[in-house]
Amino acid sequence: MMHLEDILINPLLRAILGLCLMGVVFGGACVVIWFERKLSADIQQRYGPMRVGPHGLLQLVADAIKLFTKEDIIPKNADKLLFVSAPILLLGSVFLMLVAMPFGAIIINGETYVIAATEMDISVLYIEAMSAISIIGIFMVAYSANNKYSVLGAFRNFARMIGYEVPLGICIVSVAIMAGSLNIVEIAEAQSPLWFAIKQPIGFAVFFIALMADMGRLPFDQNESEEELIAGVITEYSSMRFGYVFFAEYIHLILGSMLAVLLFLGGWNLPAALTSNTILGIILPTAFFLGKVVLVILAVIMVRWAIPRYRIDQVVDLSWKRLLPLALLNLGWVIALGLLGV
Amino acid sequence: MDETVKPSEMIVHLGPQHPMMPGPFRLNAKLKGETVVDSEVDIGWIHKGIEKILENKTYLQGITIVDRICYLAAITNEEAYVGCVEKLAGIEVPERSQYIRVIVEELSRIQSHILGMGEYASFLGFVSMFMYTIRDREDLMSLIDSITGARITHSFLRFGGVKQDLPDNFANDVKYVFGNIRKAVDQYEELYATDRIYKARTVGIGVVDADTAKDLGVSGPPLRATGVAFDIRKDEPYLVYNDLDFKVCTHTDGDVYARIQVRLDEIRESMYIIEQCLDQIPSGPLFPEGTAYGRRTPIMRVPAGEVFHRVEDPRGEMGFYMVSDGSDKPYRVKVRGPVYPTLQTLPGLLKGVPVADIVAIAGSMDTCTSEVDR
Repeated sequence: MMHLEDILINPLLRAILGLCLMGVVFGGACVVIWFERKLSADIQQRYGPMRVGPHGLLQLVADAIKLFTKEDIIPKNADKLLFVSAPILLLGSVFLMLVAMPFGAIIINGETYVIAATEMDISVLYIEAMSAISIIGIFMVAYSANNKYSVLGAFRNFARMIGYEVPLGICIVSVAIMAGSLNIVEIAEAQSPLWFAIKQPIGFAVFFIALMADMGRLPFDQNESEEELIAGVITEYSSMRFGYVFFAEYIHLILGSMLAVLLFLGGWNLPAALTSNTILGIILPTAFFLGKVVLVILAVIMVRWAIPRYRIDQVVDLSWKRLLPLALLNLGWVIALGLLGV
Repeated sequence: MDETVKPSEMIVHLGPQHPMMPGPFRLNAKLKGETVVDSEVDIGWIHKGIEKILENKTYLQGITIVDRICYLAAITNEEAYVGCVEKLAGIEVPERSQYIRVIVEELSRIQSHILGMGEYASFLGFVSMFMYTIRDREDLMSLIDSITGARITHSFLRFGGVKQDLPDNFANDVKYVFGNIRKAVDQYEELYATDRIYKARTVGIGVVDADTAKDLGVSGPPLRATGVAFDIRKDEPYLVYNDLDFKVCTHTDGDVYARIQVRLDEIRESMYIIEQCLDQIPSGPLFPEGTAYGRRTPIMRVPAGEVFHRVEDPRGEMGFYMVSDGSDKPYRVKVRGPVYPTLQTLPGLLKGVPVADIVAIAGSMDTCTSEVDR
């Protein structure tokens, strides 16, 4: 197994690759936003955006123009420095996740070249840590915006995060134990031929629920539940600052779904017979990987439009009383499998 | 509510503009963390002075004004107002007109309940449900439109009758639409009964007991959800409700879930009432024989006197108290709306609940702020 890093010795080339991946994610987020609008409209028996471009494809361009040209309002009594820098931190945390995230692989002559900006031995740990940075941004908003809804939203965010990060972490630990590595590429490679979702179904279920809480998707979007807290933490943000936070959310959705595919749904692994051909080897693994990512995103979006929202105390209850014991059970199961040498 | 706050408390003003609100009213809540310590309802943001306006309009002009009390129950407001004048002037409404009035009023009750239910689901974060109810309500609005010529503010009732007869082929349209609504209501009920998150958010939340409800003068679905079978259509029948077979839907729990269930049941009962009406409706004139009420009569003098007439609104007991001094305009009109007492249950119910349940409880009352302030 090789890494593109080994070919792209020149740091400049690597930086260009990183920027390309950033562009891919950014474009992906645009597509996902459009897709969510259309899919939710379909679920609700509406059309969704139809006017801007064919089937509303250019709606996001119109939205971006709107957000860029709107007045940027900073509340009078806000702590200006923190208020201005918080959205950058929120968007930055998801882009930092991206650094270690593999986007697929190219297989040529049996050699695997992973498409990623860098390779680290502890990439899973790194991705989780970067994902958790966003909570600091939320704290900064709550402190600086001088808005009661922001404060309430931030309280809920903390309570929820403490609840779900523990089972999420334990699930990742179980995966790391099974793969014998904290390197996300090696974890993905270890799932050939059997996916970890099949080897540890409970772990996958807990991981998926905790991941939805991590991404702040309904039924776990208490921090910005519109009907109670207007927009929760981000109530005071307008114009492009709101755009940053909005984009960060969708990029988090994409990266979270990629994480689910890499850790549990087999990554880009395909039977060797399929990738022996050079052209197929270049196209198929990445296409297979991204296809699964799209399916996970679809599932997450559909859940959002199909159920009501939990109350925050019910989420904390769910995390500590249901998810945590199940995650520990899964950890025991993984250790038992390891001891039995399966 | 005591405005002084301890260091760990804060006061949040929910409203007057807030996504939860059906209209502008303000809920001042004193919070300790996520828990409501104390709260008060602050109304008066959309006061339109309808009672005063009515004193300056002729009786016939008043019909268009009472429509504006609450757009979701315009036709029942008209019924209460027109009923008052008919009592004062001693007008007998022909049977056919009475049946048409019942049909329109029940249609309006169904659409109001359906919208209230969907709106409630969106308060809990289930936006799709809101869209489904809007879809189903659209058919009903078209039905109402086909009878009255307007979707919201109908100005349909006249003293002694109604503006116009039922359209051709109306019974068939109703049959088709009710087929859809029946299916939809069954689906709503199944969805509500099987969704675990919905149940976790509604069962046992915001419990009103029968005595509190009676003390405060609560009526309509919030009262019937506590097990009190009070319905003006049964207890003080007006129009032809005496000849119709229907039951008063009650639940005993008094919680949020029960209030929604009562509305679901009432939608079914209302459809049953309308079907009976269409079977029983006699042919005949719309206005009393030999009177001028059917013609345009902008100036109409009503004998002096005082009268109170009340009807069953989708939200409860809607009453008009009218004083006439024998001129062409009412001397004084007092509106007794159902939602004002219902809102007064909120401060008691909200004590000690989490913030998220403010929405769940206040939304379940299906308030209409426009009617509270008038």
